[in-house]
Amino acid sequence: MPRSLWTGSLSFGLVNVPVALYSAVRDVDVHFHQLHEKDGARIETRRFCAEEDREVAYEDLGHAYDVEDDGTVILTEEDLAAAAPRKTRTIDVQAFVDLQDVDPILVDHPYFLAPTGDAEGNLRAYRLLVEVLRTTDRAALGRFVLRTKEYLVLVRVRDDRLSLTTMLFHDEVRPTDGIEGGGRRPAKGELQAAVGLIEALSTDWDPTRYRDCYRERLLDVIRRKEQDERITVPAPAREQTSAPADIMAALRASLERARGGGGDGGPGSGSEEKGDGGQDLDDLSRDELYERAKEADVPGRSKMSKEELVEALKA
Amino acid sequence: MPRSIWNGTVAFGLVSVPVKLYSATQSKTVHFREVHLQDGGRIEHRRFCSKEDREVPYEEVVRGFEVAPDEYVVLSDDERKAAAGDIAHRIDIEHFVPADEIDPIYYEKTYHVGAGKDGEDAYRLLHDALHGTHRAGIGRFTYHDREYLTAVRARDGLLALHTLRFADELVDGHDIDAPEPRRAPDEREVEMARRLVDTLHEDFDPTRYEDEYREAVLEVIRRKSAGEEVRPDEEAPAAESDDLMAALQASLDGAKAGRR
Repeated sequence: MPRSLWTGSLSFGLVNVPVALYSAVRDVDVHFHQLHEKDGARIETRRFCAEEDREVAYEDLGHAYDVEDDGTVILTEEDLAAAAPRKTRTIDVQAFVDLQDVDPILVDHPYFLAPTGDAEGNLRAYRLLVEVLRTTDRAALGRFVLRTKEYLVLVRVRDDRLSLTTMLFHDEVRPTDGIEGGGRRPAKGELQAAVGLIEALSTDWDPTRYRDCYRERLLDVIRRKEQDERITVPAPAREQTSAPADIMAALRASLERARGGGGDGGPGSGSEEKGDGGQDLDDLSRDELYERAKEADVPGRSKMSKEELVEALKA
Repeated sequence: MPRSIWNGTVAFGLVSVPVKLYSATQSKTVHFREVHLQDGGRIEHRRFCSKEDREVPYEEVVRGFEVAPDEYVVLSDDERKAAAGDIAHRIDIEHFVPADEIDPIYYEKTYHVGAGKDGEDAYRLLHDALHGTHRAGIGRFTYHDREYLTAVRARDGLLALHTLRFADELVDGHDIDAPEPRRAPDEREVEMARRLVDTLHEDFDPTRYEDEYREAVLEVIRRKSAGEEVRPDEEAPAAESDDLMAALQASLDGAKAGRR
C-alpha cells in the first residue's frame, strides 16, 4: 500500500467524503546521482547567499518576485500561506461533465482517492459516488489545492476506485496560431486509400503490449558498463525523409503490404499471438523487429526504420 | 510565430509526413527566485563533495546509477545517449487505435504538430484520415535522448502528439484499500445521487475556470508591495455526513435553487 500524499474531504453538495490521495503513477525511471569523479562520493547541493558568501538555512529562505517598475517583493512562507485562504483540505465538486468532452491536452497527473477511516457513513458515501459516476459515465469537476498550487480536477472511476486527474487551466494551453496546418484537401481517392490503410493497420488499444524500451536499453548499458564493456554510441543520423512525390502510389504500395502476407492482416489481428515459423515480419512492431535484428546482428539496425528492418531481416 | 522544438517525420506505411513539433502547454504558476530573507541576497546552489566537505567545480561532477548501496556505475553523457532510441528523427506509426479507447490516465504531455517543409499535402491527408476514422496513430518518438511512446491524433484542424505513460508505470487501483461499507448504498440513495449529478451536469467549458490560487498569489504580492500586512484566513473543517440521505436531499434542494 503506497503512502498517501494528502488527506481531506471530497465534497459534492452537502455530502462530505473523507478521502486520502495516492499517486496513480509509479516512478520507474532510471535515476542518476551526481558524484564527485575523483572519489565517487555523492554531491550535495548547498544554498549560499551570494551577498555574504555563506550557507543559508532552509528557514531563512525568502521567495522573491520582481514587480514591474517597482522593485522586488520578498514573500515569506507565511505570506504564501495567506494566498491559499480557500479550502486546502477540500476537493470541491462544482459540476458534473461528460468525460468525452474533456480535451486530453488538459490532462496532467493521475491519482487515486480512497476513503479514510472506517465509519460506515463515509464508506457508503464513497461507494455511492463510485456507483453513480460509473453508471452515468460522467466525471465530477472540482477544485483542489495540493501543496502550493491549485488545480482543476476531474474525479471519475477507474479500477473500482475514485480516480482524480489534475488538469491544466485553459490559459496554460498554447494557441496554435501560426502553425502550418497543411495543404490542399486530399482527393476522394487519396482519402479513401489513407482510411483503408489506417483500417488495415488498426487494432484495439492494448497498453500492455508496449514496453519502455528506453528504460530497458539504459539498464542494459549500465549492466554492460558494470562489466567493463565498451559502449559504442550510434552516430547521429540527421537525414530528413521527405514526403513521397506520388502519395497515391505510396498509399497503394503500403496498403498492399499491410493487407498482404496471408489473409489475416485485417483489423485486430495485430494483437493475436502468432506461430513463429514463417511469421510475417510486416506484422511485428519495430521493437520486435529490432530484437530480431539484434539476434541476427544486422549492422546499422539502431538507425533503421521499421520498413528497413523488415527488408534487412528478409535479406 | 511559435518556434518548433523538433523537426522530423511521421511515417505510416510507406507514406512519410514531414512535421514540426511545438510545445502545446505552458505553466502559468507564479515562480519565485530564492533569496536570503535577512538581506535579500541571491541564493546560489553550490555543489559539495559529501566526503571531502568542499566545493566541487562542475567539470568534476559525473553521473552514476546506484547498483548497490553506495556503489555506482558511472555513465558519460554519450553512454547514456546510446540508449536513446531512434535518432533519425522519425516517428513510425506502428498501428492505429480508436482514439477514445485510450484512457486519459495514459496521457502525459502534448505537443502541437505542424506540417514540415514540402509535406503540406501528406500532412493534410493524415489529418483528415485520422479525423474521419476517430483513430490515433501509436508510435515511438525520441526527444532529448529519450524515447517516448506517443499517440498522434487530429485536434482542432491540426495534428497533436501526446506522450503516453507505459502500463507498468500505472498503479493498479485494486492495490489501494477502499473498504466496502457493511450496507451498500440503497436504491433511494443511488437515485437521489443520480438526480444531484443530473442537476449539476453541464457542458465542459474550460474557459469558465480560472486559476484562483494564481490570482491570490499575485494579490498577496500586490499587497505586500504596497506595504500592507497579509495574514492567512482560518479554514473551518468540513462537516462529516452522518445522514447520507438527508445530506443528499438538502444538496439537491440547494442545487435546484441555484439553477433557477
